Amino acid sequence: MTRPAEVGEMDMLLGRVAANQDRAAFAALFGHFAPRIKAYLLRLGAPAAVAEELAQEALLNAWRKARLFDPAKASAATWLFTIARNLRIDALRREKHPELDPEEFMPEPEAGADAGLMLAEKEGRLRLALKELPADQIQVVELSFFADKPHSQIALELGIPLGTVKSRLRLAMGRLKRAMGGEE
Amino acid sequence: MIAHHPDEALLIAYASGAADEAASLIVATHMHYCAICRMRGKKLEAIGGGLLEGLAPQPLASGALEATLAKLDQVTVFERPRRVPSRDGTPGVLRDYLGGDLRDVRWRRMGPRLSYAPLFRRGPVAARLLRGTPGADSGTHSHQGTEYTLVLAGGYTDATGSYAPGDLQVMESGQRHNPVADPGEDCINLAVTTGRLTFDSLIQKIAAPLFGF
Repeated sequence: MTRPAEVGEMDMLLGRVAANQDRAAFAALFGHFAPRIKAYLLRLGAPAAVAEELAQEALLNAWRKARLFDPAKASAATWLFTIARNLRIDALRREKHPELDPEEFMPEPEAGADAGLMLAEKEGRLRLALKELPADQIQVVELSFFADKPHSQIALELGIPLGTVKSRLRLAMGRLKRAMGGEE
Repeated sequence: MIAHHPDEALLIAYASGAADEAASLIVATHMHYCAICRMRGKKLEAIGGGLLEGLAPQPLASGALEATLAKLDQVTVFERPRRVPSRDGTPGVLRDYLGGDLRDVRWRRMGPRLSYAPLFRRGPVAARLLRGTPGADSGTHSHQGTEYTLVLAGGYTDATGSYAPGDLQVMESGQRHNPVADPGEDCINLAVTTGRLTFDSLIQKIAAPLFGF
């Protein structure tokens, strides 16, 4: 059982992998993220052997792509999330996840009043807000992100009306986005 | 100024990876035009990261780290493929699918004022480009599934409003509309349908299957 990371700790490790292909830093990242990515893939219904293999592959991808990681734009957890997301789309659905090339949008105009707020601070507040969400709200947020199900299906499985799913999600997303500051 | 954005559910579907490739292409292309939705997307990915961080870790098999460490020397460092800059402002994410710029697209006629170019089809989901000369009327139609339309050039108007480059219109199953291309330049749209279109007019009913609609 690993403890939750402080925002910034994992970013530094990833920075060391990018800068000097630091294997000790990679091993620490692996210990933290591979079991979480495996949990993510299991949530999405991947068989255990596939989740095991893809979790390792996600960390290999992180090693290969470490130099693309920009700690000013995302935390290590967010960056690893996008790697795991794209990997499972590729491996389980044989599709691509079309994405913008960040270099096409430089400099990116920061929307709203949150331009000055540092990313680490934003994500730190987001983590806190996630911890403080009521159980019924975190449940619909997790299902929305980790279950590939339309809201109608989520409603059916939880045995609650569709409108309730939507209102819980709206409440939760509002809180999470306010925690990150700026425009909702 | 973008007036018509993807709703929260569609943005979450894109950021979480639940959306299929065609719907994701629609969202990514919208984001090319829309700084607000690029920011929203980043926040949703950060929420994904926060949720990942909060998941109860599932231990890997013993030896998993060693096996992965042993592979590090064999993998090549990833280089982001260089995208060739567009000569006509075609979004880079769309160029990946076109293999070039919008001005290089080879259009297929399907009427005096309408033409199209297929991009890809996955089962019932089809992504294509549609082009209409000013005043072109694409005919009143409804859908069996969802229809996503993203304007790339020119614009069009239907009973729900006017759509300009970057604007996204989502029509749900059974909704009916009759878009007409605005005056000025040709209207070019990226269109994704998740089910077949149903046209009201007999001639289009006959023609639609010929064009793969």
